[in-house]
Amino acid sequence: MKKILVADDEMSIRLLYSEELKEEGYEVYQAANGREALDIVDKIPLDLVILDIKMPEMDGIEALRQIKEKRPDLPVILSTAYGEYKKDFATWASDEYLVKSSDLEDLKAVVKRYLKE
Amino acid sequence: MAGERAAFLTQMVEVLTSTVSFGERLNNMVHLLARNLKVDLALYFGLDKARETLLLNVSSQGPVPPRLRLEFPLGQGLVGETARTRKSTIVHRQQPGVSAANAALEKLAPAYQTLAAFPVADDNFLYGVLILADRAERSLTAAERQGVQLTCLMLAAALRQAIVQEEAKKRIAELSVLFEVGKALTSTVELDELLERIVSTTAKVITARGAALHIINAVTGELRVSSRYGQISMECPALPQIPPSGAATEPPYYEGESTDAAGHTHYCLAVPLTFKGQLTGTLGVYDKFNPNGEYLPFDPENRQLLFTMAGVIVNAIENALTYQQVEDLAEKNERMVRNLTALQEISQVMLTSVQEERLQEIILQGLTQEHGLGFDRAVVLIVDEATQTLIGAKGACRSAATRDLPNLKALQVPPPEMIPVTDWEIPLRVDQGPLALAVLRKSPYHHHQTVKEPGLPPALEGKYAAQEFFVVPLVVKDRATGVILVDNQASGRPLEPERLHTLQMFATQAALVLENAHLYSTIETNNRELLLIRERMLESDRLAALSSLASGMAHEIRNPLVSIGGFARRIAKLVEPNSPLRGYVEVIQEEVTRLEKLLREILDFSGENLSYYGDHELAKLIEDTLILVQRDLDANKIKVAREFAQMPRLHCDDRQMKQVFYNLFQNAIQAMPHGGTLSIRTFPVERADGLYAAASIADTGSGIPMEVLHNIFNPFFSTKDYGTGLGLAIAQRIISRHYGQIEVNNEIGKGVTFIVTLPVAKYCLVKDVGQGAVPASVLRVPKGGR
Repeated sequence: MKKILVADDEMSIRLLYSEELKEEGYEVYQAANGREALDIVDKIPLDLVILDIKMPEMDGIEALRQIKEKRPDLPVILSTAYGEYKKDFATWASDEYLVKSSDLEDLKAVVKRYLKE
Repeated sequence: MAGERAAFLTQMVEVLTSTVSFGERLNNMVHLLARNLKVDLALYFGLDKARETLLLNVSSQGPVPPRLRLEFPLGQGLVGETARTRKSTIVHRQQPGVSAANAALEKLAPAYQTLAAFPVADDNFLYGVLILADRAERSLTAAERQGVQLTCLMLAAALRQAIVQEEAKKRIAELSVLFEVGKALTSTVELDELLERIVSTTAKVITARGAALHIINAVTGELRVSSRYGQISMECPALPQIPPSGAATEPPYYEGESTDAAGHTHYCLAVPLTFKGQLTGTLGVYDKFNPNGEYLPFDPENRQLLFTMAGVIVNAIENALTYQQVEDLAEKNERMVRNLTALQEISQVMLTSVQEERLQEIILQGLTQEHGLGFDRAVVLIVDEATQTLIGAKGACRSAATRDLPNLKALQVPPPEMIPVTDWEIPLRVDQGPLALAVLRKSPYHHHQTVKEPGLPPALEGKYAAQEFFVVPLVVKDRATGVILVDNQASGRPLEPERLHTLQMFATQAALVLENAHLYSTIETNNRELLLIRERMLESDRLAALSSLASGMAHEIRNPLVSIGGFARRIAKLVEPNSPLRGYVEVIQEEVTRLEKLLREILDFSGENLSYYGDHELAKLIEDTLILVQRDLDANKIKVAREFAQMPRLHCDDRQMKQVFYNLFQNAIQAMPHGGTLSIRTFPVERADGLYAAASIADTGSGIPMEVLHNIFNPFFSTKDYGTGLGLAIAQRIISRHYGQIEVNNEIGKGVTFIVTLPVAKYCLVKDVGQGAVPASVLRVPKGGR
């Protein structure tokens, strides 16, 4: 079973994403900020990370940088309420940049694309 | 004896003092002497000084026929010898050499035995020789000899008196001639009249049929003036380079002789007129005649007189010439003052305007009006720096109506007839004729047909026919900004060179005021642009503030919306299809979707989206967008009319541009709920700062109510109960980011037309009012900028 980490400071979002992704047949881990996310990356052989950007303690951009340092092969999808971070080229290290939407079909399609073997 | 002698002397004195003519007296004296001495023959030989010859003048035997007019050169024969030695001699035939030396005398005194010779001289001069011949061999007594010598002295006195008399007569004649001439000369200073008088007086005093006078400019060789009177039978030289036909000591003169068809011989005599200045010439007379009308050659006396006259005349002519020059100068001065006055007046009028068009009109009026420079026709051409072309700005010809206006106030009235010249285009190259050359060389040009110089440029051939014209450049700060072209073709009046000078002065003024006007209009344009930019910046500031507020709020809302919507979807999946809950959940879902869409629009508006600039075809962008609204078009039964022009590609963000058209189409569709026509047209627009591509989107709806028209581009303004009210605001924002404009034409009851105008980057100088989205490398200086 593919392992996915969802990192978002909003609990409701974490819950929504987990539920939906579990339904698609993935094993989902959760983190409330960048630091927690990095811990999980260290401990668990993840297949994909979904990162929010605006988070307390460590934001998604810093987390992204460190994840890509540790595991360059690990696909990271940035999922944020802000479109303008696209201009920050630190986000270009991510594999995908999605603006959050209540319709998760786009997100699920992208995840599926990265994890299709 | 003494009584006889006294009687002889008394007789002699009587003869000497008699009032008969000199020749008669001479005759009588010689006769008296011969009779008194009882010699067969007495002869008087007069001395011709010039020829050094003694010529038989008087014989006691009566008049001497021409064949017997003996001549003895000085020192030859008894006559010549006596003249040389001035001593009296008596010789006899049998003496050796006498017969041979005096053989010539045999003709008059065939068998003479005795010859007595006495010099006729006073203390200073020898006048001639007196010869006494007798057939008897005889001698003279001392008393006789004394008597002869006395007679000789008397003869000398008579001769001297005659010469003095003759000279006095000549002097008087000369003086009277000079008086005549003087009278003629002082009567006028008008050159022509003076010359006429000179030639007529000259002819009169010399009793010649004709006279002529020529004066030439010694430097250029041109004939300056000439005057003729009476019959001129031949040409005598105008230049005093006359072969000296007299003695070397005499000044040069010319004598001509010719025979006409009828066999009459004509004579001419000319003497030089030499001025101290640069003029030179000749005074000539033709055909002297006697009272019988016969032509006679001119004698030295005539020559002398002519010389004297020439000397007097020269000064008078020189005076007259000087006078004429002064008059010419005065006239020129007056003309200059007139010109300057006109120039000044025109200048003043020119200062009344700073509009280039109006100034060009004033300039043309000044050039063509009688009280201005008075040319028949004038054209102003202006240099277009960008294309290096001389372009016709305005042309005018003198109109009959304004011809006689009293003063230059006339410049305030409607201009003369205008000539269309705006299609005149002359490239600024040396092979393009005098107009281009005047600009390139910054020098004026006087064209006349006689000089085969560069003609008209091909662009003007046929349009502009003038034999003679002036071209002067308009030069400001060492830069030619245009030319003025004038001619007098209509009236055929010549263009005097000094008018070119005046025209140049005028052109200097004209160039200055035109340049000022140009600068003024540039400042005005810049001012307008600055105002526009300021307005735009203010607006963009307002929008920026608004958008940052909007984006802050939007983000805060987005996260909860995602959760609400996401879970609503999850609930929907779990709810039974027939459950009433399903409807509720769907409402939540739809509302969230609507809110999310609103958010996207707000955030788009706030500029969070990245730009994707590329070169795109306007028509293609429109077609792509039309596909997106096709369903709505069909639903409202709206027809689409397209009219796309060929245009260069636009440098733009295609997604944003599609957004613009999408919004405009949506508005149009909503304006036509019951069908209609959506007319879409693209076309190029040429503006002062470059080429623009325009698209007009017109609906056939009811139009925008007037009271809300001014609000339509404001964010959050909407007349509709759906939508965000951002559609047009977003469109405007995107367009202004592309340095374009959006305008609206609203016709109540007929529909609304939106016109989007976007710069075609490669042909536009777009002012960077916002982010510099247009690469500098594609910017070019636009056409028409100076």
